[in-house]
Amino acid sequence: MKQNNMLAMILAGGRGTRLHELTNKVAKPAVSYGGKYKIIDFPLSNCANSGIDVVGVLTQYESILLNSYVAAGRRWGLDAKESGVYVLPPREKADANLDVYRGTADAISQNIDFIDSFSPEYLLILSGDHIYKMNYAKMLDYHKACKADATIAVIEVPMKEASRFGIMNTDTETGRIVEFEEKPEHPKSNLASMGIYIFDWKLLRKMLVADMKDPDSNHDFGKDIIPALLNDGKSLYAFKFKGYWKDVGTIDSLWEANMDLLDGKNELDLNDSTWKIYTEDTTTLPQYIGPDAEIDQAFINQGCIIEGTVKNSVLFTGAKVGAGAKIIDSVLMPGVEVAEGAVVQRALVADNVKIGKEAVVGSADSEHIELVAKRVKGVE
Amino acid sequence: MAKAFGIVNFTGRHFWVEGMQDYRPVGAFSFLGRYRVIDFPISNMSNSGIDQIQVYIRRKPRSLTEHIGTGRHYNINSKRGRVHLLFSENGVDHDIYNNDIAAFLENMECIENVNCPYVVIAPSYMIYTQDFSTLLQTHIDSEADITLLYHSTDDAKEHFLNCNTLNLNKQKGVLSLEMNRGTAKNRNIFMDTYVMKKELFIELVNKAHKTSAMYNLSDIVNMACGELDVRAVSHRGFFATVTDFKSYYDANLSLIDFKAAQSLFDAEWPIYTRTNDSCPTQYFEGASVKNSVVSNGCLIEGTVENSVIGRGCVIKKGAVIKNSVILHDVVVEEDVHLENLVADKHARITHVKEVIAEPGQPEYIRRNGVL
Repeated sequence: MKQNNMLAMILAGGRGTRLHELTNKVAKPAVSYGGKYKIIDFPLSNCANSGIDVVGVLTQYESILLNSYVAAGRRWGLDAKESGVYVLPPREKADANLDVYRGTADAISQNIDFIDSFSPEYLLILSGDHIYKMNYAKMLDYHKACKADATIAVIEVPMKEASRFGIMNTDTETGRIVEFEEKPEHPKSNLASMGIYIFDWKLLRKMLVADMKDPDSNHDFGKDIIPALLNDGKSLYAFKFKGYWKDVGTIDSLWEANMDLLDGKNELDLNDSTWKIYTEDTTTLPQYIGPDAEIDQAFINQGCIIEGTVKNSVLFTGAKVGAGAKIIDSVLMPGVEVAEGAVVQRALVADNVKIGKEAVVGSADSEHIELVAKRVKGVE
Repeated sequence: MAKAFGIVNFTGRHFWVEGMQDYRPVGAFSFLGRYRVIDFPISNMSNSGIDQIQVYIRRKPRSLTEHIGTGRHYNINSKRGRVHLLFSENGVDHDIYNNDIAAFLENMECIENVNCPYVVIAPSYMIYTQDFSTLLQTHIDSEADITLLYHSTDDAKEHFLNCNTLNLNKQKGVLSLEMNRGTAKNRNIFMDTYVMKKELFIELVNKAHKTSAMYNLSDIVNMACGELDVRAVSHRGFFATVTDFKSYYDANLSLIDFKAAQSLFDAEWPIYTRTNDSCPTQYFEGASVKNSVVSNGCLIEGTVENSVIGRGCVIKKGAVIKNSVILHDVVVEEDVHLENLVADKHARITHVKEVIAEPGQPEYIRRNGVL
């Protein structure tokens, strides 16, 4: 808390239904990405790298794995004195009934006591399921420079896609937000909200207390809190973010976000040693590349054993590719085993799935990426 | 197994790894891309349930202290156990007296204070896996005074030179220790690994010091073979020593074959190391990598064959690397051709387009060296 008087709260309760079997047993922030990471490593590492000491993680849907994963704050260096990662699932309280988090704002409201115990000046609200690198300290500087009541990070999206997002209409000179429109049919700007907010905590606290009592509220930042602040004439500023940002909602977009890494000049640049993304440490071997292996454009993590062909693909920790097997335009999640002679094409193979000898999975001209979540039998 | 504490010992003056050892002790040498040599003895101890581990450092402590740090990554209980870094301050200025006995004597208080009746001593320059809890049990059951671990080889003429060998009787009693001068093929190479009672260990250290200021632990154990019951236990599985430059190179290359690696590594017996949080390795269009071991964080556009590539290396277009050990963060520029060598960390090979050593006679590219 000492460093910048800002506490971060990561909303990590979402299920991510359109990721199908990948989120049957884990919440979306715990889904694997980029060869070795989980999606939530991005906001957590950003916090650590931005000098934020205390992070609360709001979990709800299938939270067992996520709770234990984020509780080990040491992974991100968030374990110094007065620093830590706090797992915050809904809990029973002395003065209120046990209730699930009814919306993004409600998740914060139910933890007002937690936040108060640190008495921060600023509160940073983050999404646990976005992939990006961002220095929140710079956003806080901007927030202070604008003397804003709230600052919302925005990213420019193509105008034709703008109606899929929450759009901020700003005063082009000052950057002050004049209007917020959730998924507008006829967008007036292309500045999409990234779901990253900095609030003056005292002000937000008041708003949340009022929101809790409002029977008509959805208890949502985008739908209720931001419009209410604008109605009250508070000063809200848009902080423009440039760089890689992805909200992976579907199997196709998760696959695509992985494929983005194959471009050596990709904006996410995971190799940047000044802004590392930290994750769980695994005790696996280095990569073993066999004598007949062929690797062409790939992003491969430690523990992989490759005896076959890998082309234009991302291989996560400990994936095995047998002799003569071909992995093309695909993503193999941690622990996937592809036996000899099997062909995997335009597919995303879920954690620990085994693909048998000479099995064929996916196809070159499919419209969508095939999700392989169950064992595929091979030729005996 | 709280019965024993662990000591990871350093190499004696009779071993020197040309080039590499100028910068750091053998325990801190990078091994197989992502490990350091000392990860093996410490992981063996940790996996055997030993949670009090003393690591002795003879000289150049920086890289070892940095790598071991608090020792948390070795998976020992952070409250009950610890990895303790110790060295002989007096020895630093007087190299011939700077041996293991001197270091033990100087740190005798730490040894006496460990609340374990037995000690397991392992070297920081040998690579093997061994369950020390079964070794300790064998030792206790046999009622021997000292148990030594050895590896039988038929390759002692060319390899393991200057290592100690064990002369055994038929009951695996140790008659004497003898330095391997390469005079015979078949030898029992002593793995510098001892199990004994702590009290006996302290007694031997004191005795060694009184006998000769240049005595090592192995010298006094050799002397004790006549009076004490010293027995040997045979080790099976992968075994390599890092005692000179060639053996370092060979040990790395011998593990490129995955089958060979399986005789060292076992999923149930993890080898811990310090993470660097590098991202996965990127293979670009045109890259060709075969029969190699590659660490994370590399950018590979060129050709790699039969080599070990350390963390964070950059291998540019048209570059060719064969039969080599490349340590971390080495940059190999376009069209550079390297064969049969070890490139130390942060080396940058750019202006010289060809560095090719004779097979079996590896060359060394210095740390931070620009060619």
